[in-house]
Amino acid sequence: MNAAVATSVFGVFMVATVALGLLALRGRGGGGGGLAEWSVGGRSLGPVFIWVLMAGEGYTSFSYLGAAGWGYNYGAPVLYVVAYMSCGYAIGYVVGPMLWSYARRHGLVGITDMVAHRFGRPWLGAVVAVLATVFLLPYIQLQITGMGVVLSTISYGTVSLNWAYFLAFAVTTGFVVVSGLRGSAWVSVLKDVLVIATLGFLALYVPLHYFDGYGAFLDRLVTEKADWLTFPGHGGGGSGGSGLGELWFISTTFLNALTVVIFPTTVAGYLGARNADALRRNAMYLPAYNVLLFVPMLLGLAALFVVPGLAGAESNLALFKLVVDSLPAWAVGVIGVAAALSSIVPMAVFMLVIGTMWGRSVLSLLPRFAERQKTAAQVVVVVAGSLALLLTYTAPNTLVRLSLISYEGMAQLLPMVLLALVWRRLTFRGAFSGLVVGVAVVCALVFSGNDPVGGVNAGLVALAANLAVALAVTFAGGRDADPRPDAEVLAHDPTDEEEKKEKEVLLPADPGPSDHRV
Amino acid sequence: MLGVIRRRPQLLWLLVPYVLYLGVLPLVNRVTPLVLGVPFLFVWLLGATLLTPVAVWLTRRADRNAPRGRRRGGRA
Repeated sequence: MNAAVATSVFGVFMVATVALGLLALRGRGGGGGGLAEWSVGGRSLGPVFIWVLMAGEGYTSFSYLGAAGWGYNYGAPVLYVVAYMSCGYAIGYVVGPMLWSYARRHGLVGITDMVAHRFGRPWLGAVVAVLATVFLLPYIQLQITGMGVVLSTISYGTVSLNWAYFLAFAVTTGFVVVSGLRGSAWVSVLKDVLVIATLGFLALYVPLHYFDGYGAFLDRLVTEKADWLTFPGHGGGGSGGSGLGELWFISTTFLNALTVVIFPTTVAGYLGARNADALRRNAMYLPAYNVLLFVPMLLGLAALFVVPGLAGAESNLALFKLVVDSLPAWAVGVIGVAAALSSIVPMAVFMLVIGTMWGRSVLSLLPRFAERQKTAAQVVVVVAGSLALLLTYTAPNTLVRLSLISYEGMAQLLPMVLLALVWRRLTFRGAFSGLVVGVAVVCALVFSGNDPVGGVNAGLVALAANLAVALAVTFAGGRDADPRPDAEVLAHDPTDEEEKKEKEVLLPADPGPSDHRV
Repeated sequence: MLGVIRRRPQLLWLLVPYVLYLGVLPLVNRVTPLVLGVPFLFVWLLGATLLTPVAVWLTRRADRNAPRGRRRGGRA
């Protein structure tokens, strides 16, 4: 009976999700338009939609599963997520408008064709696209497995994991192939409403239900679980500990805050904006969403008392154990929907970004796809999603291992993407050598089990090597032979005056159905 | 880079979250004093999370109030 109620609630919302995603195209010519319409919503989203979309894509199923699991296992260290998102979205105030205006001026749709444009080498865009795809695929798998675990739990075990994985893939592909970034933004509205409502409710309900309120709950935490309340968290100190100390927190937050502003999915959100000011306002409101991330940590800590002894991957279910234990079936269903949408929205944007990168920067190098980039991108979305699904069934550990280097690997693109856009002297050889060294160092450290290395995030160590090599090679070699003026190659933060001018000049020539290429 | 900061010193507000979350972490990494029963580290990090939007707002306010001629964007 419980299973039927919760699963029905879930099913109704999944149908609504696909419908909402497809409805997003109403009034936009029903799926017509070029790659820019699909990939970056025709660069037309206002401040509200940008906020909803970026909140939607940034807060993945990790918020419901991993964050509670970390809270349960370690405690305070999980707050690095709050810290890096706040720091990163704050510098997005400068970087967002900069990337937005650069992409708009040159008709670009992502970081791969920004790199190709900056260095005047289309094949470099293809290399970056392949590399970024390797780093992004594991995230799609994480979302698929995340939603699988949620659905199987809230259906009280009646829906098998394998079916749940397939459903995650089907629902997401169901709308993103057709309606692209705009569809993801619309689905994000439903997601954000449910996430805010369910996490807000749980934050009030769980301490009351299990502990007679916050006073008693906090008392017990402080007296019995003090380990969890500071860095390095529970089981952290000494050799063989988790290694999640102050230095780890500082280095990880610093690195991730820089990386999140050039992360391909964040950039997709930036480029979808109608104007630069929508992004500046967003940089102001978006960090406030982080307050919600304290809730799963608190619930993970509460679960320490209610369901002690969860081990390994089971700890990720800390939050759902409380939910299933204390709430009626329909409420379990609704919270399951919120968690599932936290998988679906980010997964949609991950797939969209992979499709965009391949359609624009890889397949476009082949003459037969050059004029059909959007179609190529849509095909790649299905292929990438199917690949992630297939690997989830057949070789789940491959992607789990890859996911260890995802964020730290993506960070190695910082000099080539961000530094290159503000510093003309950086040569192609410098940026490329740095990238190769950075990725090699990340792989070497992570796969040899040395992350963190000496308490410091391995990705930051790799980035330092990356930057050192990039600078050394740049200064040792000659300047790039590129006759284009600085204004054509570099990015800058647009002022309002420039913005108006750009609108007059560029709006009529904005990339239409036949996107111009680099 | 320095030129940008000279033209738009308000961008320094964006460093506030870095100071609050990272710079002073060794000083605030403690359970006591409790604030209304909440461990101090959590109070601090929650405060930092609430102050980050304020810091960005201060930058934007200064950008909007800057005299027209001086509102050149940051060409680094």
